Amino acid sequence: MNNLSSFAQYAVQGIPLGCVFALLAVGLTLNYKTSGVFNLAFAAQAFASAAVFYVLRKEHRWNLLLAAFVAVVVFGVAMAWILDTLIYRHQRTASPLAKLVTSLGLLVALPQIVLLVISTKSKLNPPPLWPVKRADDFLWPSSGKYVLDASQIATLVATALVVIGLIVLFRRGSLGLQMRAVVESPRLLQLQGVDADRVSRWAWILSSVLASLAGVLIAPLFAQLNSLDFFTLLVAAIAACVIGNLTSIPLAFLGGLGLGILQAELAGFLPTNSVLSTGLRPSLPFVVLFMVLFMRRSLRTRTAPADPMGGVDPPPPAPAADTRPQWMAHGTHVFGGVVIAVGLGLCMWVLDDYWVGLVTAGVCLAIVLLSITLTTGVGGTISLCQASFAAVGAFATAKFASGGMSVIVAIVLAALVAALVGLLLGAAILHLPGIYAALATLAFALMFQAVLVPLDWVSGGSVPITVPRPLIGGIDFASDRSFLLLACACLAVMGLAVIAIRDGTTGRFLDAVRGSSTAARSIGINPDRQRLVVFVAGAAVAGFGGGLVASYAEAANYDQSFTFFFSLVWVVLVITAGARLVQAAIISGVTFFVFPALLDKLFSWPGNYLASNPSTTGALNSFLSFFNPTWAQGVAFILFGFGALTYAKHPEGIIEAQGAVVSARIARRFGGRRSPTAAPGEPPPDTRPPDVAASIDVVA
Amino acid sequence: MRRVLRVFGVSAVAMSLALSACGNSPGKATSTSTSTGSGTSDGSQVAVDAPGVTATEIRVGGAASTTNPLGGLEGDSFNGVQAYFNTINDAGGIYGRKLVLAAQRDDKLANNKAEVQGLLTQDNVFAVLPIATLLFTGADLLVQEQVPTFGWNINAEWSGTPADPRANLFGQAGSYLCFTCASPVVPWMLGQAGKHKVGLLAYSAPQSADCADGTIASFDKYGKMTDSSVAFVDKSLAYGTADLSVQVSKMKDAGVDFVATCMDTNGVVTLAKEMKKQGLDAPQSLPNGYDHQFVSEFGDLFEGSFVRTDFAQFELEDQPQGLQDYLAAMKKLGKATSENSVVGWLNANLFVEGLKAAGPNFSRPSLIAAINKMTDYNADGLLNGVDWTTAHTQDPSDTRFCQFISQIKNSEFTTPFSQPGKPFVCVVVNGDSLDTENS
Repeated sequence: MNNLSSFAQYAVQGIPLGCVFALLAVGLTLNYKTSGVFNLAFAAQAFASAAVFYVLRKEHRWNLLLAAFVAVVVFGVAMAWILDTLIYRHQRTASPLAKLVTSLGLLVALPQIVLLVISTKSKLNPPPLWPVKRADDFLWPSSGKYVLDASQIATLVATALVVIGLIVLFRRGSLGLQMRAVVESPRLLQLQGVDADRVSRWAWILSSVLASLAGVLIAPLFAQLNSLDFFTLLVAAIAACVIGNLTSIPLAFLGGLGLGILQAELAGFLPTNSVLSTGLRPSLPFVVLFMVLFMRRSLRTRTAPADPMGGVDPPPPAPAADTRPQWMAHGTHVFGGVVIAVGLGLCMWVLDDYWVGLVTAGVCLAIVLLSITLTTGVGGTISLCQASFAAVGAFATAKFASGGMSVIVAIVLAALVAALVGLLLGAAILHLPGIYAALATLAFALMFQAVLVPLDWVSGGSVPITVPRPLIGGIDFASDRSFLLLACACLAVMGLAVIAIRDGTTGRFLDAVRGSSTAARSIGINPDRQRLVVFVAGAAVAGFGGGLVASYAEAANYDQSFTFFFSLVWVVLVITAGARLVQAAIISGVTFFVFPALLDKLFSWPGNYLASNPSTTGALNSFLSFFNPTWAQGVAFILFGFGALTYAKHPEGIIEAQGAVVSARIARRFGGRRSPTAAPGEPPPDTRPPDVAASIDVVA
Repeated sequence: MRRVLRVFGVSAVAMSLALSACGNSPGKATSTSTSTGSGTSDGSQVAVDAPGVTATEIRVGGAASTTNPLGGLEGDSFNGVQAYFNTINDAGGIYGRKLVLAAQRDDKLANNKAEVQGLLTQDNVFAVLPIATLLFTGADLLVQEQVPTFGWNINAEWSGTPADPRANLFGQAGSYLCFTCASPVVPWMLGQAGKHKVGLLAYSAPQSADCADGTIASFDKYGKMTDSSVAFVDKSLAYGTADLSVQVSKMKDAGVDFVATCMDTNGVVTLAKEMKKQGLDAPQSLPNGYDHQFVSEFGDLFEGSFVRTDFAQFELEDQPQGLQDYLAAMKKLGKATSENSVVGWLNANLFVEGLKAAGPNFSRPSLIAAINKMTDYNADGLLNGVDWTTAHTQDPSDTRFCQFISQIKNSEFTTPFSQPGKPFVCVVVNGDSLDTENS
């Protein structure tokens, strides 16, 4: 077979997968275009509808059309109502990055809700949208080089119809135009006599039904139903979205198709055992995404559309920290100090090794999370690769330490290595506008995972490289309790460093940039440079934390501690708690480990009670038997997801929001020292300068 | 910028003061026994001073990836342990004590070390079983504490070396695991199937790629003996790949007539569907394929494929006593049979056999020592026979490789290679040829 015919053959073979990418890319683009949400939860919605279809069609043996109607249309519309009415309607004029954070929360929570309902047992052989048991039961043509199965035919047809329909909708219909308008300024649209809520509802119905359709079509590609598979395909499709500038449906379609074909061509032509093949093929979509973002100059000047009616909004409320009287601020610090002292005391003398281990892991993680405080809270960049920087720190620590270097010196050097990686990455991407910079960091994280982590010399391969515990001045930190003290000391140093940057010149420069980028430039501030400084500092802090995590775990174990999905969870956790607060990073880190363990105990208690009291009968027995210990993880993720949803209401974070409530109560109780915080339900007076007020929205 | 540098500079100076006296810890000291439950003598019973042992019971606990994103059945291993303990307890227990599975921890994929710590500090267990987890990050802790540990050997952490044999870790059929080592079993399969050219697919992830290297090494070393060789290799696949059409085309072009993979269920099913579409009729070697639900859903795609296990499979007509006991106990417990529950059963069986060998005055060290003296442990015929004096480390002089091998026919597991009373197939390297023996 000559090269030309091989090229043609591989191109044709790449089309079915290309259509899958295209369908997802079109769905993401539609979502962004009509709601302003870069909806990573699209994958979770698709998984949820696929699960509904599985249960109805396979377990309850419903008729194909009825099951499809319920899973795609009924479930899609219901999901649209939930997303629009309960969540995104309240975020309509929020920045795209704020909406991205909410979608990340949903991405994590939604599959867990589904699994709690349909059980976590494996769901093998998802049924196709075709009247056969398995996709390969119908092949067309029945033999030859280019054979399609039922699922592929359904996907090809559906993708073509969806693309044509959407192009017609947006080119010819007024609804398409209204959908785009409602994203930019719902109030302006309403002034024209158009019901913005109705338009928004239709936009969500359209995108949710498309997500449901994609889920039902894609599920038979895999042997079993698994939400991770949907997300893996979705992140690959992001490259196609970016090719379409997140707004062009035809370009997104062509991008997806091209990606599938390119993947097939590389599989066909690259020598299968070459370094290029091993590195490039698993990471192709992410390399394409990164290259498009890096090379497309038009993206650099792109700004998010601003609502021309935005000026009518009242100013955002002041953060509690700024309005709190000084005596109350001091009281808060004292209270925080007492909590930390009591917590440490409990760890040293009361709690057993299990809980001490969890707290220690949490304190180490808190250092990594401080990097998000810097990068996102101070710098205003949503970084989805902080776990990768931490992994760089862990791997570098392991390498230095295995060469005989003191592990503490190795961790400091590893932080410098992470900073260097951060410098290279930041210099390449930080000129991009918010959402694109966030996607670039995600692309980096995925490339890191696909290309570098499998290399033996980086990660140790199948067996992680061991990392020793430190020995400083004769003090051996081999025990978890002594290591906890060391970790707390490191956390204190890093926390003070972060506060110094946040409240120092760089932090104030960035506050000014957020208030008015143009004004900041006019007084000589270089926004890109300032953002780069905190991005690099954030990478260093993450690298330091990663080294400490590895030393605590006594191995640089990527799968356990640093996969890219952790970055998504961590960034939502910190932003939800309070992106600019050091205490938010600390609380998030400790909570990340301790809270699921507490839930575990809670859900295990009924079973343990019944085991030790076998005579329990009747209603109590039935009630206690209802609880399942395996719910703990799902419930933890669901609560985490709901926490992320509060971000819409409290962009300053839960800690600040609760702080405001407590401050108001205390101020009322001690009336003479009233703080300027308003009573609940009333807009508080804004006592801050405009740049500080603007800085609350970390992604403005 | 300067301030940032100053901030980090000050931090660095502060740290450097400490660094001048820095080194690395030699490691944790092994803890002395934390809590002891001593039994009292009453006739047959001897007082035992060991954690988790009282006059009436011996407590054990385990950790499994019960909830994991891959939907695996690791949690079934608890059922196997419980079924075996029920059998022993119904017969009066051991040394006058009941066996109690006191803790069933879910490590949720990434929390293995914490859950192992919890077993040791909160659950007061004498031994840890089962461990059936996707990651085994708590292994070092168990080795440091020298706790007898029994589990599913799929992680490299189970394996020891001559210098560090990890003698307290006991897998279901030995503790050594070498992904990259050559084995004659897959080349032997090609000989049995009358095939000559193998296509090999693996993910780029480290364990999968190492497994592919092991298969290549196997054919380099033993391929000539069965006139077989590797005709196509692709170990650059992304995990979760949904399209293998190009790979199957290339395998067809290369004349591949047998397929070996180092992939999960998704991967092998995607491959088999594509092979069906392109008309590539080649059996597969399925190292993880002993799953009845999998075969009932996809069996027709794997007609003639080979499935290997360490234990005698349930379809065997002339069942050894160990298999009969397992099936009866699971039925009595009301739980489904599965590979993971067999592993739990085997773990519990080895634990009890070890206790018997250690004697009534048993302790953790004596239990470990007693098991490591066993030269032919076979769980009443459920296993081929494990020599625990060597099973923690690789024996480079191995020339006899025994496993249970079945074939999928008409969507069912069949046992064409087993003989009455000798269910296991042993591939024996004999000079320049591979001989087959049953045992």
